[in-house]
Amino acid sequence: MKVEADSFSGARIYPGTGKLYARIDNRIFRFFNGKSESLFLQRKNPRKIGWTVLFRRMHKKGASEEAAKRRTRKTVKVQRAVVGASLDDIRKRQRPEARAQLRTESLAQRKQKKAASDEAKKAAKAKVQQQQNQQQKVSKVQTKGAAGKGR
Amino acid sequence: MIGLKGRLNVIDNSGATLVECIQVLRAGSHARIGDEIVCVVQRSRTVGVTQGNQQSQQKVKRGDVRHALVVRTKKEVRRPDGRYIKFDDNACVLINNKGEPLGSRILGIVGAELRDKGKYSKILTLAQRVV
Repeated sequence: MKVEADSFSGARIYPGTGKLYARIDNRIFRFFNGKSESLFLQRKNPRKIGWTVLFRRMHKKGASEEAAKRRTRKTVKVQRAVVGASLDDIRKRQRPEARAQLRTESLAQRKQKKAASDEAKKAAKAKVQQQQNQQQKVSKVQTKGAAGKGR
Repeated sequence: MIGLKGRLNVIDNSGATLVECIQVLRAGSHARIGDEIVCVVQRSRTVGVTQGNQQSQQKVKRGDVRHALVVRTKKEVRRPDGRYIKFDDNACVLINNKGEPLGSRILGIVGAELRDKGKYSKILTLAQRVV
């Protein structure tokens, strides 16, 4: 059972009460009684009719009671342990000393890696240079020989 | 409440736009949503002169006598749960003797009373919205 709201006045419409008006533009309006229906069809503005919910909301009538009921709810953030790291471990890692240590370690590792890769690049370069030189030597000898033969 | 001389809008694409009721096919009272009527086409859409394409040809002209099914009435209708529903205008869909619609599209809302009648399932599926 769904209790609808009057489209004009905001009154609660229980099943078996009121009228439903389906306009051709596919909009549906519900009326609790002939009073709201008549005013709607006269194209009155509910915000100006003093007994409607829209008017009362706009002029903040009877709102103080509602405000007293509501209380702000605060969500509490709880830090939980994860599989593989107990709460103590997490706390330890969060401390500044632990963080500084991690930083220096990772820095040292990165330096090592860079040095290693630089060496590897140098070696590769040297190898390539050697190969090129050898090829050149061979080709010179060949051309000399070929020229001699051709004559 | 559609009776003799009552005018209805036609909301399908059969070509007619306005019809006038000449007979209510219901024992002794006015037609409501879901009732069949016999009607005369008063106004229909003008056909384009250029093409005589089979598909775009109009099926219905002014002065034709057809059957129609009432799908919306301004007079409110009572639902079994006690609600009353009324629409903004009186509207119908042209049908043949078997209850099948002449048009291929229905533009606009249609009353849900058609569900209780049983043989208008095609119209219900074609309708944009059933209220």
